[in-house]
Amino acid sequence: MSWSELALVVLVVAAVVVWLAWISASRLDRLHRKVVASRVALQAQLTRRAGAAIDLASSGLLDPAGAVLVADAAFAVVDDVAKSAPPGGELALDGLGAGREPAESELSSTLRSALGDGESVRELRATPVGEELVGQLAAAWYRAQLARRFHNEAVAQARRARRTWYVRLLRLSGHAALPRTVELDDQMPEGLTGS
Amino acid sequence: MSAAHVTAPSRPLRVGIVCPYSFDAPGGVQFHVRDLAQALQRAGHEVSVLAPADDDTPVPQVVTPAGRAIPVRYNGSVARLTFGPRAASRVRRWIEAGRFDVVHLHEPMVPSLSMLALWVAEGPVVATFHTSQERSRALQVAFPLLRQSLEKIAARIAVSEDARRTLVDHVGGDAVVIPNGVYVDTFAAAEPADRWLGTTTAPTIAFLGRLDEPRKGLEVLAAAAPRVLERLPGARFLVAGKGDDGRDAAIEALGPHAGSFEFLGGVSDEDKASLLASADLYVAPQTGGESFGIVLVEAMSAGTAVVASDLGAFRRVLDDGAAGRLFRTGEPEDLARAILEALDDPADTAVRRMRATAFVRRFDWSAVTEQVLAVYEMAVAAGEALGSPVAPSRSESAVGWLRTRWAAGGEDA
Repeated sequence: MSWSELALVVLVVAAVVVWLAWISASRLDRLHRKVVASRVALQAQLTRRAGAAIDLASSGLLDPAGAVLVADAAFAVVDDVAKSAPPGGELALDGLGAGREPAESELSSTLRSALGDGESVRELRATPVGEELVGQLAAAWYRAQLARRFHNEAVAQARRARRTWYVRLLRLSGHAALPRTVELDDQMPEGLTGS
Repeated sequence: MSAAHVTAPSRPLRVGIVCPYSFDAPGGVQFHVRDLAQALQRAGHEVSVLAPADDDTPVPQVVTPAGRAIPVRYNGSVARLTFGPRAASRVRRWIEAGRFDVVHLHEPMVPSLSMLALWVAEGPVVATFHTSQERSRALQVAFPLLRQSLEKIAARIAVSEDARRTLVDHVGGDAVVIPNGVYVDTFAAAEPADRWLGTTTAPTIAFLGRLDEPRKGLEVLAAAAPRVLERLPGARFLVAGKGDDGRDAAIEALGPHAGSFEFLGGVSDEDKASLLASADLYVAPQTGGESFGIVLVEAMSAGTAVVASDLGAFRRVLDDGAAGRLFRTGEPEDLARAILEALDDPADTAVRRMRATAFVRRFDWSAVTEQVLAVYEMAVAAGEALGSPVAPSRSESAVGWLRTRWAAGGEDA
């Protein structure tokens, strides 16, 4: 093999490597963006759910003890939204932040207790105001469930992509944090259906 | 015994007492309710207590279970509370069945059973405020709804000056101060136990309270211990109370000194009295949130020397320090100083103990029940002027009413 042929082979190999890196890096970038976008969507629905919970708590439809506790749990979420977002935090890949997930789970379980079983939810929805407020809550809650599922799927895809050998060898993920799934209790109360 | 001092009522009353906290996690409010119920029964009144409890947990006969208490994060700490439609329907049925002359709610600003009962009840309602707590933002959201409920209270009792001040500042309106009661004689008669008795070289120092609640101050005691042990290497710290996390944290903080701490876990009432009667010193290092200090009074009744943080509530119970020793709240070094002073000067400590024995008489249930009964009398008299005994109200939100009726029907079926 002459030097020119060798050079050609080297050039082709180099080109393939660069091409592969280019493809992988842009795929990874796309997946990371997807993780961020789905996390933002999830946060929006959760925040909407907290707002709906506060509206319900201040409506007078719940018993006073339940109302106070729901409002307290919802304020914990809202306060977390207000204070978080460190520099660059809006592009974070690793979940909602330390305080947010327990606060959301707490809100879920408090709402389940305050709303009671299927019968009491039906009674609550019997008035137009109740239907409106509970409907808002259910819609946000259901969408938050969906958004979390999509987000966790996006995280799984990104993590799979980062595991391939050439991504690791070429350090294509750079300094980006490892995407983390969002784990929280978002089981809906009996008798509350979204959509 | 103590009941003999209570003046005979004009007629026996039917009293319904509502406790917001579960009896399976003992605390100051639960003990207060239990003892008040007992003291009222001894004075010849009919008493029924409504408290959170599962249907299958054993409760004293006087208690009607109102359903499971759910652990909820509220106001920065986890509390076990009962709320929701099912609990509301239980409260309604209890009030309906009880036909009480007076309903006595404890902590109606805590989102649990008492708040539900206030919402449901109509008629002579008396309320006791125990803790000095801030009005949370959540409470403010619900306050417009609560105000109507709060207006139903005929007479308000605060267990301490601090609790009263919180009430005045955060809720508005005034309250009569009636301190917590203690069965002084029970503690005075408690038998010391050998295993907890101290000696001059190995004195015993007792602590009681939840270990995983920072405001109970176990950390402060743990930080003060090394200085005490420096002088008295044989000293034994007897720590009673639940909370494994708090225990582990304390053991870690103590390091090599952990051997001087004996963790007794939760103790029975008899053991508590016996522990207090045996120990050379009782330490109350609470950092705040105390409105009365019932264990402090119990220790004083048992004849134990006490060292307490200089919170307003403790100051008053200790007759401004004359009936015990105070240290600067949250400062371990000052606590160590006070502990060593108390152990080094037995003569002075004995004088303070004598002072305490006389001073705690005013906290005995016989004295307290009489004051509570006077409040009931006023509430009942005012109620009689208007008409009926306590009954479920029909005026709160129609939906809530229908809802609880429905749940009640569903449960009966």
